[in-house]
Amino acid sequence: MNLFGGTISKLEKGLSYATLKNKAITQNIANVDTPNYKTKEVSFQDIFNEAKESSISANRTDARHYDFSIEIGTSGVYSNENFRTRPNGNAVNMDAEQAKLAENTIYYNALIERLNSKFSTLNTVVKGGR
Amino acid sequence: MSIFHSMNTTASALTAQRLRMDVISSNIANVDTTRAKQVNGEWEPYRKKSITLKENEGQFSSFLNMAMGKTVKAGVGNGVKVTSIKEDTETPFKLVFDPTHPDANEDGYVQMSNVDLLKEMVDLISASRSYEANITAFNANKSMLTKALEIGKG
Repeated sequence: MNLFGGTISKLEKGLSYATLKNKAITQNIANVDTPNYKTKEVSFQDIFNEAKESSISANRTDARHYDFSIEIGTSGVYSNENFRTRPNGNAVNMDAEQAKLAENTIYYNALIERLNSKFSTLNTVVKGGR
Repeated sequence: MSIFHSMNTTASALTAQRLRMDVISSNIANVDTTRAKQVNGEWEPYRKKSITLKENEGQFSSFLNMAMGKTVKAGVGNGVKVTSIKEDTETPFKLVFDPTHPDANEDGYVQMSNVDLLKEMVDLISASRSYEANITAFNANKSMLTKALEIGKG
């Protein structure tokens, strides 16, 4: 039996995603005056949700088969090319970036809260309810 | 990919914006300068300077790892960098009629710098707002890292 269950590893994936997204947002804000810079976005949420909803399992009968396991490293950063740009080719929307920044911070804090309460639950169990 | 990656990104942006403000200050300070440098033995007025920014795409090692197919998180980048400080050679110098000026030509006109105060002020405000936006990003980042230190304390 697994003491920590799947919750903590899922929360960890969420935290890793939030960190990466924070890096992308920071990069976007830093390049608000860079000509021809295109907004960078992180597409982990989709992958994360998929992994959560359906845990796919497959048997590899040949070494050349693709591995079905989803790694944390699969989070993708992509540039949003077809976006309305300013005259200098820069596509950073500062209002949207600030909103995303606030949202991401709250999301991250929420994950930490969950993680902490999970640990405190385990702590209660370990101490036998005392 | 260190935990302080985002902070370094913000720091690079703050440095760039500060340099931009320095250049703007220099432009404003020299708006009336008629003798900035000598070209072919004659004094030339001050030319407006501006900086060019470029996205800092990361170090060689990250590109090498990506090319070799290692699992690297696709480049988030390393902030912004200043590639050059260029002089404006396209805008003509302003001609002001002032026969008493030591640098006036035979017709009594003086060549003044090609700095446009109005543009400089707009640029200054833009730089200062960008700086503030980056400070916000930095603070958000800091609060996230501080929160991360609280994991398991409850």
